Amino acid sequence: MSAAGAGSAFVVTDGPTSSGGPGGATDGGPVVGDGTSARSRAAHRWRRSRVLIGAGVLVVLVGLLALLPEPRTSQTPLAPDNPSGTGAMAVAEILRREGVSITYTQRFADVEAHARDGVTVAVFGDYALGEAQLEAMDDLSGDLVLIGATYASGTLAGIETTWAVTDPDEVLAARCDDPDAVAAGTITRAGALHAPAGATVCFPAADAAADEGAYVDVSVDGRRITVLGDPAMLTNAHLTEEGNAALALRMLGRHTELVWYVPSWDDPYQGATTEDEPTASMPPWVDALAWQLLLVVVVTAVWQGRRMGRLVTEPLPVVVRAGEAVRGRGRLYRRSRARGHAAAALRAGAASRIAERLGLPRSAPAPLLVDVAARACGWPAADVEHLLYGPPPTDDDGLARLARDLDHLESEVHRS
Amino acid sequence: MAVTWRAVLLAAIGVPVVLVVPATGTVLIWAVLVVLACGLDAALAASPRRVGVQRAVPRSVRLGEPATDVVTLTNVGSRRLRALVRDAWPPSVDTQPARHEVDLPPGEAVRVRSVLRPSRRGDSIADLVTIRTVGPLRLAGRQASIDVPARLRVLPAFASRRHLPSRLARLRELDGRAAVQVRGAGTEFDSLREYVIGDDVRSIDWRATARRADVVVRTWRPERDRRVMIVLDTGRTAAVRVLDAPRIDASIEATLLLAALANHAGDRIDVLAYDRRVRARVAGMAGARLMPAVADQLSGVHAELVETDWPGVVAQVRERLSQRGLVVLLTALEPAAVEQGLLGVVGGLTQHHQVVLASVLDPEVEALARDRSDVTAVFDAAAAERAGLERAAVAMRLRQRGVELLEALPDDLAPRLADTYLALKAAGRL
Repeated sequence: MSAAGAGSAFVVTDGPTSSGGPGGATDGGPVVGDGTSARSRAAHRWRRSRVLIGAGVLVVLVGLLALLPEPRTSQTPLAPDNPSGTGAMAVAEILRREGVSITYTQRFADVEAHARDGVTVAVFGDYALGEAQLEAMDDLSGDLVLIGATYASGTLAGIETTWAVTDPDEVLAARCDDPDAVAAGTITRAGALHAPAGATVCFPAADAAADEGAYVDVSVDGRRITVLGDPAMLTNAHLTEEGNAALALRMLGRHTELVWYVPSWDDPYQGATTEDEPTASMPPWVDALAWQLLLVVVVTAVWQGRRMGRLVTEPLPVVVRAGEAVRGRGRLYRRSRARGHAAAALRAGAASRIAERLGLPRSAPAPLLVDVAARACGWPAADVEHLLYGPPPTDDDGLARLARDLDHLESEVHRS
Repeated sequence: MAVTWRAVLLAAIGVPVVLVVPATGTVLIWAVLVVLACGLDAALAASPRRVGVQRAVPRSVRLGEPATDVVTLTNVGSRRLRALVRDAWPPSVDTQPARHEVDLPPGEAVRVRSVLRPSRRGDSIADLVTIRTVGPLRLAGRQASIDVPARLRVLPAFASRRHLPSRLARLRELDGRAAVQVRGAGTEFDSLREYVIGDDVRSIDWRATARRADVVVRTWRPERDRRVMIVLDTGRTAAVRVLDAPRIDASIEATLLLAALANHAGDRIDVLAYDRRVRARVAGMAGARLMPAVADQLSGVHAELVETDWPGVVAQVRERLSQRGLVVLLTALEPAAVEQGLLGVVGGLTQHHQVVLASVLDPEVEALARDRSDVTAVFDAAAAERAGLERAAVAMRLRQRGVELLEALPDDLAPRLADTYLALKAAGRL
């Protein structure tokens, strides 16, 4: 493209914004384009944005990795996927093999979703169980098995923990007619519970009262609630002792579906979802309208966001206000309370002006100046001397008074 | 790629559509429609890189006066060029209008004009010319910024030239005095002519009279071809802002007036702007070429935040002035700066030359010295008084070394310096 040569061949008309005659000299021929091609611009954009793109790809990769299924085992105590001594993987595996489907969760919302009649809900520990979960648990349908859930058992079934000191290695016999307990025979590591009236109490300690035991089975509002005092008996470490395994399997395997709930501190559950959500009362088109308005906003942002060429910078000169040095010195005088210095400056200035006015040389001695000035303004010489050569003022008011008096003296001298 | 307000309108038209068919899918379809329409329009728009751009600005303009920047746009592509063109200049150059609408068929060209009103002295360098084309639907377009170099030199305002006529009249008075043949200081021998009644008999040249039969008198005229060297101090004290303009601006005004006056008086003028090195220099110019050269050289002179090298100034003056001349130092009478620098070396100048130091007074300090409104003001007044005393002391020491001192407010500096020059000339002290 030989645009530079072709420029003069074109018809040139004056634009609509013309005013006045033609302008001055031209600087060289016309410039066509900014020296870039589509390829070079693409390359430039790639060079400029490749770091950002790389970072974006990295973020996406990390996100995908985070989305991968969690590891098959965990370290959560009493979790069915914890193979360590404090876990409960053994009992969970046996239950699965026996055909019980286990839904393991740490979220109460999942518990709510799965709980219904014919499902066992097992709660393992209640330290992390909030009020909201407890209240909602009261309304759950399905059988409850509370293991080591002291507060929950008290609230839901009136079964208190005695907190009696028990020997964990003591072998307890069933001593009741609950079929599960009878089938288990003896267990270890059971804890002690205080049962309310009408409850079945099993595995009492040797010296326990009649309504105290490690295992309590009670029916509340037509719902079976089974409470086990100490969860240690169904951990991997102790499951094989005595009849622990039998009791655990029978207790958790009453139904073919089991919800294995280990409460967690980071459960976002805040109570059952209520029906009157704010969006529910709105007409159906609000959602779509909001999206459409967002589209308008985005297009407006694109319209306004593209700048018409770059900002033009300009080197600015240094700006120093002329009075700055003087003001700075005045401020120093004030901060250091240099009233003596300030008064001396004021007096010297006034004296030099008076001397000039009265035709005295700058080097005139002080007594001569005082004498001449006193005669010029008609003041007593002592006053003039005190004013011009007196002691420095002791406070700010004195300084201000001195300044005013000097002005007065000057005006008197100048008037004469 | 850039979109126009029409694209926003297109997106907004979707709002009633969404109300009729309230589904998220409608929004999606509409968004795709907007994107497609904009993309198509941008693809159909003329390329902003196929436009010939030519800028024409005057070489220089006086500060405060307008200049016209003519941008010639030639459509060298094959599509109709509908575009918005931005002619970018620095902010201190008030560009009116800054944007132009252009509609050009292929192969045609158009001139668009902007009026530039620069508000700062020095070289203004034009920035890019940005062309944003729009497609046939005017929904979207393409944009490119093209580097079209241009430079506008903004000369000093020379506002003090209004003082020139009165000073030139005074200069002619000096000439006129020569016509009555008063011999005295500041005059030199001009010519011999015949005696007419009324001439001063003391100016009769007896030797010439003896050679000829007539009585012949000598005539005198003011000295000509004196050397005047104006030195602008561009060191840190020149940066100080007095009444909203840096000191150097007042100094430049004074330089211009003095140069114009001395040029008329037939003296030879050197101008030097110096801090630690030469910032501008005009030498060996006379007559009509002098003033443009001085304005051009001083247009780019700005104060630098360095301490002025006064021995360097003296060396520069010595280099230029071999015979006796007038040296005008345009600087600030700041006690600390003068004591540290000028005072030590000024003796070397006053030995050989008449030295005038012209300084810009600060009215703010005067006002501070008189303020008694509260205790703070009194402390400030004391500081101002002290500064004034120190300045007076330094001024006295400079006078003792033979320096003529001149202190004036920014607006008065130029005429006062011209008066001083005329007085020195009349007294024959150049």
